Formats: sequence, structure tokens, C-alpha cells
Amino acid sequence: MTVVSVEGLCKTYGNTPAVDGVSFEVGHGEVFALLGPNGAGKTTTVEVLEGFRRRDSGQVRVLGVDPADRSCSRAFRERIGVVLQELAVEPFLTVRQALARNAGYYPRPREVDEVLGLVGLEDRADRRIKSLSGGQQRRLDLGLGIVGNPELLFLDEPTTGFDPLARRGAWDVVRALTGGGTTVILTTHYMDEAEALADRVAVISSGHIVAQGPPATLGGRDAGEVRIRFQVPAGTRLPEIPAAVSASPSGQVEIMTDREIEVLAAVTSWGVSDVVEITGLTVERLTLEDVYLRLTGHAATGTTGYGG
Amino acid sequence: MNPSPASRSFRGITDVRLVARQLYFEQLNFWLNPVAAVFTVGFSVVFLVLLASSAGGSRSSVIGNVRVIQYYVPGFVDYGVMSTCFNAMTISLVVRRETGLLKRLRLSPLPTWAMLTALFTNAVIISVLQVVLLLVIGKAGYHVSLPHDYAPFAVALVVGAASFTAVGVAMSTLIPNQEAAGPMVSIVFFVLLFLSGLWYPLDPNSAMAKVAGWFPIRHMITAVFAPFDKRPGAPAWAWHDIAVMALWGAAGVAVALRRWSWSPRRSEGGGRRARSQRAVAGE
Repeated sequence: MTVVSVEGLCKTYGNTPAVDGVSFEVGHGEVFALLGPNGAGKTTTVEVLEGFRRRDSGQVRVLGVDPADRSCSRAFRERIGVVLQELAVEPFLTVRQALARNAGYYPRPREVDEVLGLVGLEDRADRRIKSLSGGQQRRLDLGLGIVGNPELLFLDEPTTGFDPLARRGAWDVVRALTGGGTTVILTTHYMDEAEALADRVAVISSGHIVAQGPPATLGGRDAGEVRIRFQVPAGTRLPEIPAAVSASPSGQVEIMTDREIEVLAAVTSWGVSDVVEITGLTVERLTLEDVYLRLTGHAATGTTGYGG
Repeated sequence: MNPSPASRSFRGITDVRLVARQLYFEQLNFWLNPVAAVFTVGFSVVFLVLLASSAGGSRSSVIGNVRVIQYYVPGFVDYGVMSTCFNAMTISLVVRRETGLLKRLRLSPLPTWAMLTALFTNAVIISVLQVVLLLVIGKAGYHVSLPHDYAPFAVALVVGAASFTAVGVAMSTLIPNQEAAGPMVSIVFFVLLFLSGLWYPLDPNSAMAKVAGWFPIRHMITAVFAPFDKRPGAPAWAWHDIAVMALWGAAGVAVALRRWSWSPRRSEGGGRRARSQRAVAGE
């Protein structure tokens, strides 16, 4: 069952196209990640799907309705949940009060205690929101997004600023929700987040989707070149290997090849027959980050700074 | 095709309950910050007491040679209502917009009208509290005579509260960020209060009164003072002043409808052009 379908979505601010012909579909219970640098059009796309922003052109159906149709906007908003980038809660209310108030907006909300448990704020339930730490406030944000028991949940960079432990916690919440049939649309800068959570990823750059698919096969990373690395004693003479080999004087060897089986067979049989001590053998596929940087045209800038 | 009950924008008793609940949380939010609450409610009372003890006993020919305290009590009733409906409302809306609260509300099923009704009712409750407090203190502490006709008193206050709320909502759309909200609102408010003669009765034929007549605060002051005025022939209903306030309220609604934004201005830029550029760049 299709929960979201987008066909040829365009949105221009002034003369600058923010989203330029984006198309994708999201199925029931799926986690779909929109990955892209700042200004690529992620948030604009999501805001159109939420009914927050009007599109210029294109077909959009979300939960069977057009989110721009104001006659059903209230019923539509009862079925979606949104977690925004900024924390937005009145600081003097307690965690429980804020959740209870927002639960009252929805026809079939989750129990407040269930939400507190899901986001791990049981022991903070009666604290003022202003006394929470940053991470706890973001968890409350997540709680406010799911308290209405949404069929479709939008997460806009949900773990930006989280410490590693808190990120794992947030991921567990998202997994628990999707286990219950909630569909999730996620925008993120983090490759590991997309890889950990998403069933499918769309990489968006300058308003276009440049690649789309499961994170494991995105941009052909399940095929193509791999990087094989190992260490041999310094000064060891290498055998004939059917690939480009670079070896340092200290014995560090790196081989780039798309025929990894042949190369590995040559290397391992050489190690066994010539009794050469081979240590630290690794075979690496392109990481999602490599693929992402290549797709968004930042391959030369290295592995950091892709968010700029 | 008839819209299903779930998609109607007004759902009868369910929505009345929804607004009541929203109002409850607005009140909770107000009183859970007791320092701010006491200062908001107490400011008009403190001002009244200060002015009364310094100048309250003198008499003014402009208001029929009665004690000036007889002018200050309705004056600070106005001050209480205006500071709640205009100052506090404007600043609160800017803060809510800039922190993303309005955006979150927009994405929740709570209808806009329900949010605004709860906000306005909340301001009215806080205003009524101040009005009662000021009348009681005026009567008990300074033997001020209360309005001889409560109908024009109530109508002037209700029209004033609604108009100043509308102007406050409009004002919030003109303020670019949280930091500017307090100073911008205070300057506009206190300059107009001064021109409009809150601190001392103004001769209606003076140049200052004529300038102030273009703005709503002067009209609030004269409309609310009218039912206190016991001079023979002085009308209790100041229809002209009530009408000017209502016009300002209508203008406020028009500006608010045109300029209202659910998104933080900070991330979207100020002007239309900057907004369109930054919305792309600052995604």
C-alpha cells in the first residue's frame, strides 16, 4: 500500500528553484530517508508533504489525500506526526502536562505513560520542561510527535546534536514505531542514521533526486570497486596480482579492484604457499558516505564537511 | 459530496471542550511562572498606588474639578487591559513564532481559530482580574466613585480588549525577532500612553490630544472614563471613541491576515525577497 506518492514536485522561491521535479513513493510501514546537503530541498519537500507549504506543480498524495487541500487539513493533521528541528515547548509546563495537552488535539492518542516509556522520560514526567537537558528536550520533541498515534511520522533531522547513546535510543524508538506499522519519512545529514533506520534512501541535491534505493545498494555500492588492504613484513616481494597495487616501504598494501574474488584468491594462496605473514586483511566496499559525496558532487572535498 | 464529520472545521461540543482545554493550559502556563504572572497583574496596581500617593489628591479642571485619582483608576484599568492584550500578546506571539511553537501548532490538528480564541480568552481573564483589583483598591483605598453605568464601561473594555488584541497580533507580524519584541512594543506603547494623557488629564482641544486622537489609546482612555464622568450632560457612552477603537481593530485584523507567518522569521529572513532566498539557503 502506498502511503506517500510524489510525482514531478516543483517549488520555487522567487527565481530559485528549491525542489525541481522530485518523484518518489513510500509504502506502508516503510522508513524512507531523504539525504542531502543543506539547501538541497529536503525540508521544502517534507513541508509540502506535511501540508505546511504549497507546491508550484506536481502530483502529491499523502495518506490518500492532497495535503494542500484545506477542506480536509484538520482530519489530515490528525493522522500525521511531526518532529521539527527546533525544540518548541512552553518551558514552564511539565513534561506530562505538555504531552497531555497535545494528546488532547487528537482523536485516538497514545497514553501519556506509554509515550513517556517509549522516549525514556518516565523519571522526568513531572519536571518542568526548562529543567530538562538538551537531549531530554529533544526526546520530549519526539514524544510530542508520536503522542497523536500518527500513521505517518515526519522526522526532520531528529538526532542532530545528540550524543551517541541518545542517538541509539532515538533509533530504538523509531524502530519500535515502525514495528507497529507507522510509516516514517526522515531527513538527515548522517549516513549511519540513514543506514541504520531507512529501508530506502533518496539522495537529493540541488532540488533533484540523484539516486534512490536501499542503503546497501545505493549508487551501485554493492557492486563495483572495493578496497583490499593488508600488512606484510617490510621488504617482502609481492607476487603478480591482477589489479592496481600500491605498497609502502613499511609493507602496507592497498589494492583497488572490481575483481575482488580473483585478487583475494591470489593474495591468500600466495600467503599460504610462500608462508608470508599477512595481517590486518580488510575488504571495504564504498561506504554510504563515499556514495553520497560522489552523488552530491563533493567527492573531492574529503570525508568531512559534507553538511556545509 | 458532503464533507465527513471528521473533516468539518467546527465540531460542536467537542470543539468547545477543545478550546476550554487549550484555555486551561494557557492559564496553567501563565500561572506556572508566578513571578511573571504577579508582575503582569500587579504592574497596573503598583502604578496606580504610586501616582495616587504623589498626585492623586490634586484636582483637574479638564475633568470637572474632581480629584485626579478619579481619572487614574479608569486610566489604569485601561493600562491593565492594553498591556495584557497588546504588549503581552504581541511579545508572546513573536516568541512563539520564533521558537517554532506556532509551526508545531500549525502542524497539529488544533484549528487556528481555537488557538486564537483560547489566547484571547486567556488575555481577557487576566484583564478582568486587574480591572476588579483596580476598582476594589480605588474604592477601598481612595474612595473613588465607581462607574455610574456599567454597560458602557463593559462595552468600552470589551471592544478595547478585542481591538488591542487584533492590533497586537498585527504588531507581532511586524517584529522580526524575539530580541526586538520587548523594546519595539514598549516604545510604541509608552510614547502613545504619554501622548494620550494617561499620566494627567489632557485638554481635549490641545494639540497633543489631537495627535493622540489618531491612535487607539487616547480613545480607550476617554471611552472608559466616560461612565465615571458625573458632570451634568456628559454622555456615558462614548460611541465615537468606541468606533475608532473598533476601526483600529479591523485594521489590525487586515494586517494580521496579510502578514501572518507560522514559520520563524529568523530562518526565513525579513523581507519577501530575503525570505525567498534564505528559505532555500537556510533549509
